[in-house]
Amino acid sequence: MPRTTRSQRLPLVALLLSLLLALTACGGSSSGSDKAASGSSSSSAFPVTVTGDNGELKIDAKPEHIVSMSASATEMLFAVDAGDQVKAVDSTSNYPKGVPTTDLSSFTPNAEAIAKYDPDLVVLSDDLNGIVDSLKALKVPTLLLGAAKTLDDSYAQIDTLGKATGHADKADDVVSDMQKRIKAAVDSVPADAKGLKVYHELDPTFYSAASSTFIGSIYSMFGLKNIADSAPDPAGGYPQLSAEYIVGQAPDLIVLADTKCCQQSAETLAQRPAFGTIPAVANGKVLAEDDDIASRWGPRVADFAASVAKTLKG
Amino acid sequence: MSGGARVEVVGLSAAYGRTRVVESVRLTVEPGGWLAIIGPNGSGKSTLLRSILGFHPHGGQVRVDGVPTSGVPRRERARILAYAPQTPVLPEAVTTREYVTLGRTPHRPLLSAPRAVDRQVVADVMDRLGLGPLAERPLATLSGGEQQRAVLARALAQQPRVLLLDEPTAALDLGHAQQVLDLVDRLRRQDGLTVLSTLHDLTLAGQYADRLALLSEGRVVAEGRPADVLTPAALATHYGARAEVVAGPNGPTVMPVR
Amino acid sequence: MTTTAGGTRPQTEPVAPRWRHRPGLVLGGAGLALFAALLAGIWVGALPLPPGAVVVTLLDRLPGIHLSGGLGPTQEAVLLQLRMPRVVLASLVGAGLAISGASYQGVFRNPLADPYLLGAAAGAGLGATLVIAYSPVERVGPFGIVPLAAFVGALVGVGCALALGTAAGGSHSATLLLAGVAVAAFLAAGQTLVQQQNTDDLREVYGWLLGQLGRTQWSDVVLVLPYLVPACVVLLFCGRPLDVLAVGDDEATGLGVHPGRVRLLVILAASMATASAVAVSGLIGFVGLVVPHIARRFVGGSNARVLPVSLLIGGAFLVLADLVARVVLAPAELPIGVVTAFVGAPFFGGLLWFGARRR
Repeated sequence: MPRTTRSQRLPLVALLLSLLLALTACGGSSSGSDKAASGSSSSSAFPVTVTGDNGELKIDAKPEHIVSMSASATEMLFAVDAGDQVKAVDSTSNYPKGVPTTDLSSFTPNAEAIAKYDPDLVVLSDDLNGIVDSLKALKVPTLLLGAAKTLDDSYAQIDTLGKATGHADKADDVVSDMQKRIKAAVDSVPADAKGLKVYHELDPTFYSAASSTFIGSIYSMFGLKNIADSAPDPAGGYPQLSAEYIVGQAPDLIVLADTKCCQQSAETLAQRPAFGTIPAVANGKVLAEDDDIASRWGPRVADFAASVAKTLKG
Repeated sequence: MSGGARVEVVGLSAAYGRTRVVESVRLTVEPGGWLAIIGPNGSGKSTLLRSILGFHPHGGQVRVDGVPTSGVPRRERARILAYAPQTPVLPEAVTTREYVTLGRTPHRPLLSAPRAVDRQVVADVMDRLGLGPLAERPLATLSGGEQQRAVLARALAQQPRVLLLDEPTAALDLGHAQQVLDLVDRLRRQDGLTVLSTLHDLTLAGQYADRLALLSEGRVVAEGRPADVLTPAALATHYGARAEVVAGPNGPTVMPVR
Repeated sequence: MTTTAGGTRPQTEPVAPRWRHRPGLVLGGAGLALFAALLAGIWVGALPLPPGAVVVTLLDRLPGIHLSGGLGPTQEAVLLQLRMPRVVLASLVGAGLAISGASYQGVFRNPLADPYLLGAAAGAGLGATLVIAYSPVERVGPFGIVPLAAFVGALVGVGCALALGTAAGGSHSATLLLAGVAVAAFLAAGQTLVQQQNTDDLREVYGWLLGQLGRTQWSDVVLVLPYLVPACVVLLFCGRPLDVLAVGDDEATGLGVHPGRVRLLVILAASMATASAVAVSGLIGFVGLVVPHIARRFVGGSNARVLPVSLLIGGAFLVLADLVARVVLAPAELPIGVVTAFVGAPFFGGLLWFGARRR
């Protein structure tokens, strides 16, 4: 093969160099335009460093193209008034009304599909399919906020999202509002409600949530005893119980978290064999909660606490 | 036992797919007679037998005592014709007695249990064939000769009028082969059965059968008494074999020549 | 091994165990085993119930007997509404699957046949998966949609196998077997596809596939009875015809039987029993395969005896398996298909091992 002569090499090098320059120029110009656009009131809050499960993230400017892949994060973002900055949310995000739901899948996230929205911040709750690494390779700022284990986790996430979107003050308000409402709910319940037994149903095959889970911790706040706790193998907090066990435990409060997915209600509960003898069913202390509210860790957990209180009071 | 039946086969033809295996066969067996069908490998002997029994679709007619078998319902036919195959399928883990009892199937409603008369016939037949001590043994543990006798017993339990045997001595040594053929002959004379068998051993065929039919390439090329059918010329033409035929005390003996 | 002039012979012929000559004894024993299993199933559970009170309460349900067992309303509800239907259904399903398995083994003359052979399992699985993934309704009239779809799917699977088999080459067992394999593979692929498209429903689908008796009610028992019981009765009568079929199509014809018709009847009845069992309990494996072999160890190979004994032992087997499923991880339950596999497979291996050594 003939070697390239010097005269042929020069144009090649020039071509490569110019390509390189063009690429860096593109990268540089987009961040430049962001800088130009961010002239709003909270520009003093940026740059800011926030911490997610995937480590620290330095956000240089107020994000205007947020993609949320977590239904809970979506609720939090809209609660802290960052709704205008959210461009796309995943298929499971459905609250509040009018969120820009797309068919992005949070179970099988696709980095390219996310990148289509040209995001300057992506919020995830799970690192599936190596999505965090993929987004990192695409140089997209990513915040991984995994499922909250306690209420404090939830508050911390709201704070984080507030800081990240330039609404730290609003986030503080949201958190203290939640705390106030939950405390009010707990206080409103009579003292003799403490020690009552609760059964939280995740699906009609009797999967339940023990006290070690987020939703279980709410019941603990009310001083309720969770029948799923005495299951010998809590299996990470979500044991599967049996009909006989549940009837035998005779819970005083039943919370159904399978009303939307599996059409369960107080009526279907009463129709199950032997469930009519359960005190919760006999006394009408059945809370048929929206699946979403019972499974997310956003601001609506305060609504959930209020519903529990209401049901307990009868 | 009402005595043997007369079997007539008229113009029987059978084919496997496109290949014609049996061509216009005509045979007659007198009541109580023994016709042995001989012929070289691939001449269609087994197919002929299976066609006569109705297992294989065929042209032509088979008549038993003048009545065409095609019009006779299966169960009725099973009470007249009994079949002992060359390679019987032996069910797993079944005792000899249970196996022989299967022969009583045509005589009772399919769903009902064996009755006293069935048990009596089975015990009888097994005695005659010397299977008494083997009655409760699993069929699979019997020796080759014993299994052959069990198959014969099953066929006899059907109390047929015609017995069709496909190579009854195929897997047996000389001694056992003679035992089985003696037995069949004795039963034939005692019960007046008509016997139709295929035999590959020409000398045994000549000694035991009344009449022979030589089947070659699907056609009957010779039929008659053993001495008339077994000739060196016939053996040379149809078997491609070199042999001499010597008259013996019971029938012609075929002696191969090197 | 002693040697004789003719060569070596086995010293003793294998002696059949004494009970092989007394099928009545074995049948009685199997019935007793079923009864004992039912009792155990009713007595044991997540909620402890005093055994004596249980028996008295049940006796009280008989017409004309008035006794008080002393159980509280919760305990009585658990016994009568949860445990009883479950145990009854387990025995029905176990009996149905066992006799179907024995029948299939008889029809195909193959000891490895099981009731799901001709595409019943694959069809039921596909039906259930389709409905779990796509159906907007939970019930159609008095029937739950999943049992209905499973039932129909099982019958469709078998129907396709039969159609394909007879179109391909008559009613020979080998052709049918191959047709069954082909149909099952196709339907299973369809099921996998639907599962892939609907990963949210995977847990429910697998829960159904592995077999579950956890939500049995009396209505399930009533649902299954009109199909399962007649099918089992027909199969009980098919034992003798199957024995005749065991000597091959030709010889069976020579004995005056129509092998094709018998085969078709047995396959239809066994498929009906399998479909109704699968509809209410999901795909419980191993029962149809292992129980007939257990029966054969006791009564030999004659189908006329193996089928009824399989029926009884199958019922007992599944009731006990359900008991284990309920107790081992209480209050959670193991899917019953897991129990039958864990218990059935080594059991089967043991049967083969000891059977071979004895020979």
